Amino acid sequence: MTTDPTRPPEPAEGPSASAEPGRPADGAGLDPAGTLRLIRQQQEAARDATEPDGRLLFGAWGLAWVIGYLAMWTTARETGSPAPWAGWVFACCIAGATTFTIVHSITRTAGTRGTSARVGALYGWTWFLAFTALGVVLGAMGNAGASPEIMAIAANGFACVIVGLMYIAGGLLFEENRMALVGGWMLVAAVLAAFAGMPTTYLVMAVAGGGGFLVMVAVEQVLRARRRSEGGVRRA
Amino acid sequence: MPEDLDPVIHAPARLRVVASLAALGRGDEVAFPKLRKLLDMTAGNLSTHLRKLEDAGYVRVTKTHEGRTPVTYLALTDNGRTAFADYQAALMDLLKGAQ
Repeated sequence: MTTDPTRPPEPAEGPSASAEPGRPADGAGLDPAGTLRLIRQQQEAARDATEPDGRLLFGAWGLAWVIGYLAMWTTARETGSPAPWAGWVFACCIAGATTFTIVHSITRTAGTRGTSARVGALYGWTWFLAFTALGVVLGAMGNAGASPEIMAIAANGFACVIVGLMYIAGGLLFEENRMALVGGWMLVAAVLAAFAGMPTTYLVMAVAGGGGFLVMVAVEQVLRARRRSEGGVRRA
Repeated sequence: MPEDLDPVIHAPARLRVVASLAALGRGDEVAFPKLRKLLDMTAGNLSTHLRKLEDAGYVRVTKTHEGRTPVTYLALTDNGRTAFADYQAALMDLLKGAQ
């Protein structure tokens, strides 16, 4: 290891560091555009390594809602209420998306600590608490004699309201306006689903809710590609 | 090397270190092994560069324990963020000057 502080010769750099384009070399080799591009690429890689990928999370929830709610809708359309197997499909979709979200978020943020990690953990627990509370309240409504139709409207509507508010909260916490926008859309979907009437409610949840998530996958992808080509320094 | 480019940041390996740390939010830290993996450097090489950045006041090194395992966390200081912003601004100026 060198100890000369004035002119580090970059010893044993490893292949990836020394052979990159835009390498800021001393003197004549300086390429400002290439160096800025290198900075952007490095920061993109750093974010990929430390932050959850919005495309994957939106995609997981979009698929879960589209598949789960379409299963409920198709069977409810024939018989008036969803078939048991459709209920299981729905439950498995939600459980799968939840598991994926937790595993993906923990994997990406492992090895970091500080404000973002604390806020992220609290945010994750709030989701869990909110849906646990919702389950208990729905149980109480069922015990009090609410009809299956009322239960379905309440379950879908309140779930959508929680998702909407949590996404808006997430947008505020993480300074992600697109996330807040999705939250606002989910509140709209809650209203649409509530007034659609059974079993159309399920179709609205699949198309407006699940479809909304899937649209965000495309939006994230476009923004990412644009950021790659134009660049731009992260909010600091 | 142009006079207005910070020599501490300008070295390729340290530029990658600083750029990576700047991508973290303020108030966030990253563990040494995670940073090493991200940068694909050897531990000794990364340590050397981190020491130079720490000596310049750009990087804060926090040694702690998680359970019984010693862990080192790294973050850019406010000075480091400012220096990196200045460095990028200087590059932008060079780019404009060249056009």
